[in-house]
Amino acid sequence: MNSQFTLMGVRKYYGERLALDIDYLEISQRQLHIVTGANGSGKSTLLNVLAFLMRVEAGELQFDGKRVEWNGEGLQRLRMRVTLLHQSPYLFAGTVDYNLAYGLRLRGYDGHIIASRVSESLATVGLDGFGSRNVKHLSGGERRRVALARALALRPEVVLLDEPLANVDRATTRELERVIASLPDAGTTVVLSTHHVHQTEHLEGSIIALEEGRLDTANCRS
Amino acid sequence: MNSLLHSLQTAISLILGRDPDVFSAVSTSLSVAVWSVVYASLFGVPAGMAIGLADFPMKRVVIVLLNTLLALPTVVIGLLVYGFLSRQGPLGGLGILFSPKAIIIGQAILATPIVASYTLSAVRGADIRILPTALTLGATRLQGMLQLVREIRFGVAAAVIAAFGRAISEVGIAMMLGGNIRGYTRTMTTAIALETSKGEFAFGLALGIILMAVALGVNLVLQAVQESRHV
Repeated sequence: MNSQFTLMGVRKYYGERLALDIDYLEISQRQLHIVTGANGSGKSTLLNVLAFLMRVEAGELQFDGKRVEWNGEGLQRLRMRVTLLHQSPYLFAGTVDYNLAYGLRLRGYDGHIIASRVSESLATVGLDGFGSRNVKHLSGGERRRVALARALALRPEVVLLDEPLANVDRATTRELERVIASLPDAGTTVVLSTHHVHQTEHLEGSIIALEEGRLDTANCRS
Repeated sequence: MNSLLHSLQTAISLILGRDPDVFSAVSTSLSVAVWSVVYASLFGVPAGMAIGLADFPMKRVVIVLLNTLLALPTVVIGLLVYGFLSRQGPLGGLGILFSPKAIIIGQAILATPIVASYTLSAVRGADIRILPTALTLGATRLQGMLQLVREIRFGVAAAVIAAFGRAISEVGIAMMLGGNIRGYTRTMTTAIALETSKGEFAFGLALGIILMAVALGVNLVLQAVQESRHV
């Protein structure tokens, strides 16, 4: 199994506080990985590092076997291949279509490809016909699904999901689980964080357990 | 009360009579205010964004300085720019003192801190997730910033409106750098100052009413544009 990410001696500080301290971790391609740990254990920090949004102060991060250089142009190219869905996702003001088309327009796709990807992604998350709706009229669960559809429309190699199942109703949870479970088979690497393992009991994947920023090897499972 | 009614009647008759001096003053006021706000926005919006988003030493000092510049008296700006543009000044060779261009320079200096300060407030009040969201969807930092401007566009529009209001209503810069030349650099405010100094109180007040009406009209247009794009 090829490695999507390899972390070696990675350390990330918030001021004086060591938020992430990982000696060695491999995250394999096209699999589902569940990052668990209590609040403040470093889950979100890890996801932000993997999304190339947060520079590490020490150690080496490899993506697809190549060392990540933390400079502007290289990082932007890498960010095109990885998409992070925040715990409380932000939707840009405007319609659902506008949000889903945003990243596709940045990639230079033409109009009909954008339209087709947008409608395909909305169908994937069970929101057919929502394209023209203004995001301010969506419910919390619908916003989560739109954000997921926006990420999926880009067909990234890696989808990072920060607590995607927290604070959502049962119907939305089932819908999100169905979509998330289907991604590895479609060739996407998924890294998902949760502070309650039971929230992901319907999902099968390796477990990356964190405690105070370090790997809790006793509770990790490959 | 009688004097106000008289002024209102005078204002209406000036407008209906298409008084060329009034129309010239309105046109000069509008054009110099619009151009100065355009230049102020070109500098002020990026400056406000940069100060709001970047972490750098002395950031607090820069913000205090910016807020202090909001209180910069127009006559001081007029005096400084006059020093640069007068024949003995470093930019005297341009020969633009007592021209609309000189007023635009002065008013742009007046309006830039206003635009920057309002933009800074909008950036500070913006959702912190906007930039990371744009970046994780593949935006460059510049594209992310442009998206941030889109998301805070009502705050930026407020900055532009406030700056326009300040520029069109000021008198010190227009007087010192424009020279109040009839039909050329005479603005609404310098005309009001002149008429009042001549004892033509009603006429001055009438011009003031027209100035307020023009400002109201411009703000209504800007408001309509904002609402039409409020999706």
